[in-house]
Amino acid sequence: MADRRPKVVGFCCERHAMDSSIFSARSGRTYDTGLRIIRVPCSGRVDGMHILNALEEGADAVFVLGCLEKNCYYDTGSVEGRKRVEYVKSMLSEVGLEPERVEMFNVSSSMAWKFPEIVSRMTEVARRLGPIGSGGGDGR
Amino acid sequence: MKGRIQVVMCRLCSTGGGVLDVDALLRIASDAPNVGAAVVVDRLCDKATVASLAAQAKDKEVDRVLLLTCPKNEVSPFVYQTFVKKARINEFLIDSIDLNNEVVLPHRDDAQGAQAKAEGRLLSSISRMARLQPLERKTDEMRTKNVVVIGAGISGLEAAGQAAQRGLHTVILEKTGREVKAPGVVMPESKVVSMKGEAGNYVLTIEAGQKRENLECAAIVVATGGDWSDARGPLADKCRDAKPLYRLRQAVDEDRVPTGTVVIVDTPDPKGTRTKVQDYAWDEALDCAMDIKRKSPSTEVYLVFQEMRVSGMREIAYKEAADLAVRFIRYDRKNPPRLTAKDSGRLELTDLAQGEAVALPFDVLAYASIAANPDNVAIANALRIPLSPDGGVRRGSMQRGPVATPRPGIFVCGSAMFPKSESAARAEGRAAGIMAAQYAGAGKTEYGGSVAETDAEKCSACLTCVRTCPYEAPFIGAAGKAEIRLQMCQGCGMCVGICPSKAIDLHHYTDEQIAAETTTYLRGDF
Ligand SMILES: Cc1cc2nc3c(=O)[nH]c(=O)nc-3n(C[C@H](O)[C@H](O)[C@H](O)COP(=O)(O)OP(=O)(O)OC[C@H]3O[C@@H](n4cnc5c(N)ncnc54)[C@H](O)[C@@H]3O)c2cc1C
Ligand code: SF4
Ligand code: SF4
Repeated sequence: MADRRPKVVGFCCERHAMDSSIFSARSGRTYDTGLRIIRVPCSGRVDGMHILNALEEGADAVFVLGCLEKNCYYDTGSVEGRKRVEYVKSMLSEVGLEPERVEMFNVSSSMAWKFPEIVSRMTEVARRLGPIGSGGGDGR
Repeated sequence: MKGRIQVVMCRLCSTGGGVLDVDALLRIASDAPNVGAAVVVDRLCDKATVASLAAQAKDKEVDRVLLLTCPKNEVSPFVYQTFVKKARINEFLIDSIDLNNEVVLPHRDDAQGAQAKAEGRLLSSISRMARLQPLERKTDEMRTKNVVVIGAGISGLEAAGQAAQRGLHTVILEKTGREVKAPGVVMPESKVVSMKGEAGNYVLTIEAGQKRENLECAAIVVATGGDWSDARGPLADKCRDAKPLYRLRQAVDEDRVPTGTVVIVDTPDPKGTRTKVQDYAWDEALDCAMDIKRKSPSTEVYLVFQEMRVSGMREIAYKEAADLAVRFIRYDRKNPPRLTAKDSGRLELTDLAQGEAVALPFDVLAYASIAANPDNVAIANALRIPLSPDGGVRRGSMQRGPVATPRPGIFVCGSAMFPKSESAARAEGRAAGIMAAQYAGAGKTEYGGSVAETDAEKCSACLTCVRTCPYEAPFIGAAGKAEIRLQMCQGCGMCVGICPSKAIDLHHYTDEQIAAETTTYLRGDF
């Protein structure tokens, strides 16, 4: 599996997160193809189960992307989203998996630069850790 | 039951000018389960094209349409309308994916990867699409088109004027008894006690003089302003005797003019970690400094400011102050003034103009502190809108508009948010008036579609959803189980994952639909 590309799932809210991805694309930025965007109305919709399901189905890393906490379309949505992510991270640690595989981020629609940055950060994590249970990727 | 999908690819929008192999995508779509028809068109937003697509949809008996086009909110509305009208497709069963921004542009340096990813995106969208249910859009007529404005100050009057200009009946609630000239009805000595009802059909209980009455309205503008405050900050905290500017001003007005050296700083928080410097602090400080010098020429007065605004007529005041020997020191926020030690009576700062450090001994330290109206607490409670940490009415996400609160139909403008200058307050008042008029003028509210639904069988009435929802949509109904007030539900889905009994789901974003999309998308290797 030398040339296997890391698979990253990004649960992106339909508001600032999707907008930032579109703005990023339109402003000429590129990122790794391994990203799978799953659109959700709000990062607060994301449930621990969705993240775990993604990991189980082959994602090496998962991020949830919501609005900035002070500028969330659904007011407290991205605060809720973060709680879910923190919960999943603690669960992963408990069962001996790397909590860095899952992360929450916040953006505003105008932060075109941040979207690719997040993707490469998670792609890096995925590359370093390799597939779940593989005992390390090409970074070790 | 899974539906039959018509997949439509727009060559113009989704192929990235030939980067993607459309024929390959088409083959994949045609072979996918639940696809009844797959076609490529040169340009989707062409009336004749859409009409023929709708005819095909009807012919092939598909009940849903997946468009590969531009971002959803950029697709011309007539495209959706034509499918709804001509092929009787449920409007919520038309969805689109944006291959250009999701695949083509971000992967322009990897054509092969982009193609594989486009195929994955297509299949994952098909698997989600197949699982969607038709949904219903509902509308409520507004019982009235009244716009209520709370506060007859600069921004409130502007808002009322704008709403009235657009033909709406306005009611202004003003706390004081002062005479106000404005369109519509002005109720002096009145304030809001509570609010009931749903978006677009709010019922305010107000206290006007001795009387209580109910007032129906479609939209509300909060324009309660701000005022001087005693709020302290890091700088003031280090100096026990530091006083807010307005108190210094009161003392001067009452001829209790300080002697020695008076230093006036533009904010109690020069670093700006907690509060911003208020636009008009400068004018007020300038006036106060001049009054001191006029009454007691031997008092030394320093104005310590980040920015010295001298606009229009104020230029004269600036010169006058200089003639009165008021001294000005400009500082930089990155290098803010501080006391040499707690209660030391010496202010240390770097004068931007001279570029040198000075230690300024003083007898009186005053700071300009202006805050949002303390009444906001009661108003926010009544209208159930949030406040910011410094007591202003907090606006919602910028995507809802710059003067919208998170609650639909309720707007905020002027210093009620945070202290600001007259011209900014006026501009916001105008915006709030226009937005309130648009909202109320629609005459109806739309709701439904992708909203939450509870399952009474599973609900254990734990109230978690009731506490979590920012819009007060869930409530415990007559049967002792949670129900959703559809008019209030905004479809964020926050209540879904948090329900310990898994008794809630969000239409169009059910756990099953999200899982199907994720799993399919992960299947491909790219
Ligand atoms: C002392 C002071 C000096 C200023 N100097 C300057 C200056 O030199 N230059 C400049 O550009 N700006 C200045 N400003 C700022 C400017 O006045 C404000 O930006 C502007 O007035 C804000 O408009 P507004 O409509 O938000 O609030 P306001 O004009 O203050 O109006 C608020 C209105 O709401 C009413 N109200 C309050 N609470 C309630 C309630 N609970 N129910 C009903 N009605 C209520 C009030 O009675 C008032 O009529 C100053 C402000 C203050 C307080
Ligand atoms: S959170 Fe779930 S179980 Fe609790 S009241 Fe709401 S629907 Fe019922
Ligand atoms: S989906 Fe959002 S708005 Fe609707 S009931 Fe749940 S939390 Fe409230």
